[in-house]
Amino acid sequence: MQDHFLQQIEANKGIIFKISRSFCRSKADQEDLCQEILLRIWKGLPRYDPAYAFTTWVYRVALNVAISWQRQAKKSSGTIPFTETHGEMNIGPDGTHSREYPLEDQHSPMVLLQKHVAALKELEKALMLLYFEEKSYREIAEIMGITETNVATKVNRIKEKLKRAILTDKNLVYGRS
Amino acid sequence: MDDLELNTLWKEYDLKLEESRVLNLQAWAVNRQTFEWLQTQKVRSRLRPMGVFKGRAVFLGVVWVLFLGMLTVGDHGKHGWFTFSISILFLFNVYAIIAYLRQMALIRQIDYTDHIVETQEKLAALQASTLRTTRILFLQAPFYSTWFWSERLIAGGSLAFWAIAVPVVLLLALGALWLYRNISLANADKKWFRRLFNGIEWSPILRAMEYLKEIDEFRDS
Repeated sequence: MQDHFLQQIEANKGIIFKISRSFCRSKADQEDLCQEILLRIWKGLPRYDPAYAFTTWVYRVALNVAISWQRQAKKSSGTIPFTETHGEMNIGPDGTHSREYPLEDQHSPMVLLQKHVAALKELEKALMLLYFEEKSYREIAEIMGITETNVATKVNRIKEKLKRAILTDKNLVYGRS
Repeated sequence: MDDLELNTLWKEYDLKLEESRVLNLQAWAVNRQTFEWLQTQKVRSRLRPMGVFKGRAVFLGVVWVLFLGMLTVGDHGKHGWFTFSISILFLFNVYAIIAYLRQMALIRQIDYTDHIVETQEKLAALQASTLRTTRILFLQAPFYSTWFWSERLIAGGSLAFWAIAVPVVLLLALGALWLYRNISLANADKKWFRRLFNGIEWSPILRAMEYLKEIDEFRDS
């Protein structure tokens, strides 16, 4: 059982890590959240229904824990500034400032997308993470606990919102220069 | 900008993080040590229990109930109105303690393996339930103005006594009933509501209420 559990977690650690990164600002918090998710997976294991894919189940636990974590963090420190979360793009492997991703990158559409996803409400963010991880609407509906039609409507609405926000930011930055 | 482009931008960011080793998956080893850590008795959730406020309320409630109990028992039923009023206050507070303990137990039993919307709704509802208990507690208000009444005071009550006592009891009773009827999620945005629950200990509860609204909108729209 031990080996099986470790194998399953090893196969899904990318999910846990990506979700932690999306919901936490500092590296230390990300690590703490990873451990919290791991703990909840371990404790919830007896309730796992093999009728569903293990990955789907991991997404559910990880997102539930991450949303609760972020809501708790908001209580104590207000909202999470984007720059603290994603400024790490400028940190090199050794922890020093990297020239590979200069500050100008902060205005690139790629970073702007991250910024606007980070600013979404928790449930919307969870939905979009699943969408960007290329989960089917059916899987997303299963994880979130809403209908497929609702997923489709929401994803389209949020995508439009994100596109508008990115274009506005781009126009603001490049319109001036 | 099309949908494909959004997906590409997302993946591009992941790739850059991998390259800059921010998303250092290799470094995060899942091994036997992890398993041993999970099995130790010391492992505790770092998600602080959301019932901290309720925990404090229970502590204060127990102290208050013990005090009220001592007063009632100590009086040996000598003063009818006093025993009656204090007993009612005692019952209200025992109810609140039981309600808070039950809510704390339910918060601890929250299943993070359920659907996200359902789990988040349960968590927020349990946190906001403090307000439901509070509105019931308001109903005890009139009894705080009757405990000092006595048969002698009533029988030989002067006009001044009745002129003060009756309006005070009526005012408290009507106020308590009004609050009982109006403290709800629907009124959370009203100025009087915000003023009444203005304090650091109430903000998580108010946020939970707002979150419940958000969840409703998320599910319905």
